[in-house]
Amino acid sequence: MMGVMADRLGASLDTQTSTREFGSWMASEQKRIFLLCRRMLDDSEEADSATQDAFLKAWQALNRPELQELEDAGRWLTRIAVNTCLDRLRSRRWQFWRKRPNQQDEQAILELAATAGPNAEDRVFATEISRRLESALQKLSLRQRAAFTLRHYEDRSLAEIAEILDLDIGTVKAHLFRAIAKLREELHDLYFRA
Amino acid sequence: MKHWNENDFKQWLYGLRDEDHHLEECLECRGEMERLRMVRARITEQPEMSQDFLAAQRRSIYRRLHEPRHNWLALRWALPVAMVLVMVFGLTLQRGRRSVPNISDEQLFSDLTAMEQSAEPKAIAPMHKLFEQ
Repeated sequence: MMGVMADRLGASLDTQTSTREFGSWMASEQKRIFLLCRRMLDDSEEADSATQDAFLKAWQALNRPELQELEDAGRWLTRIAVNTCLDRLRSRRWQFWRKRPNQQDEQAILELAATAGPNAEDRVFATEISRRLESALQKLSLRQRAAFTLRHYEDRSLAEIAEILDLDIGTVKAHLFRAIAKLREELHDLYFRA
Repeated sequence: MKHWNENDFKQWLYGLRDEDHHLEECLECRGEMERLRMVRARITEQPEMSQDFLAAQRRSIYRRLHEPRHNWLALRWALPVAMVLVMVFGLTLQRGRRSVPNISDEQLFSDLTAMEQSAEPKAIAPMHKLFEQ
């Protein structure tokens, strides 16, 4: 978020400029945030809505005068997105009428890379295993899912995960340890099957 | 020299185990580590996504950025107030139902006397009606 963060949006910029700068930052982070939400929620439609909410919250926070300068805007946004997803997952427990996401819709939104070419078989295999792993994330508790997603897909350090989830490193380790144990089979197939 | 097993590698991949002295010396385990690193990189690379979808999502966000904010906080009292009103309404209704029919003391006394003097209990009357036809 570069200059926008430094200038604290709105303080010295007019609305049009700040919107434009926010827009370019959003475009650079959008795909990552959407995929993070999709992996946490296992539902593209809800991930779309959560992504929008996360950027909206970021925009509102940036326009608050009390916001202090951000060291790492990406991590800050990740934290907002993860908390948005956790809120949605918590409220999902009460939505017993909620239908399962439609796999065809998922595919329509996420157009995976073309499978043609010399590595087509590998790619199909990787896609299949990745999909299985994403579905298996449902087995995990909310915190375990968040910690695992941030480590596995975003390659965040334990310290970063601890900061994003507002936990201490020992707790993050415990969540990851349990997540790995629960995903034993999927991780075995992912890394050791070939 | 004990090689790392599957669990050791998994824990290393997820930051739960540091590289140790064995890895510095063992070519086999270092090779396996490199292979796992590559598998992970390949498997976690971001998939291609529809540009149309991303553009539509950005348009929605832009639209929402400039929408007037709903002041949900102002409505935080609405639910408790509504619940209290429903309870008050329910209690009023209940009290109305329980109210005793308004009859005079003479009427009440005469009804009680009639019941006392009757040889049969009053509740038998409906059964008599069954056999009247």
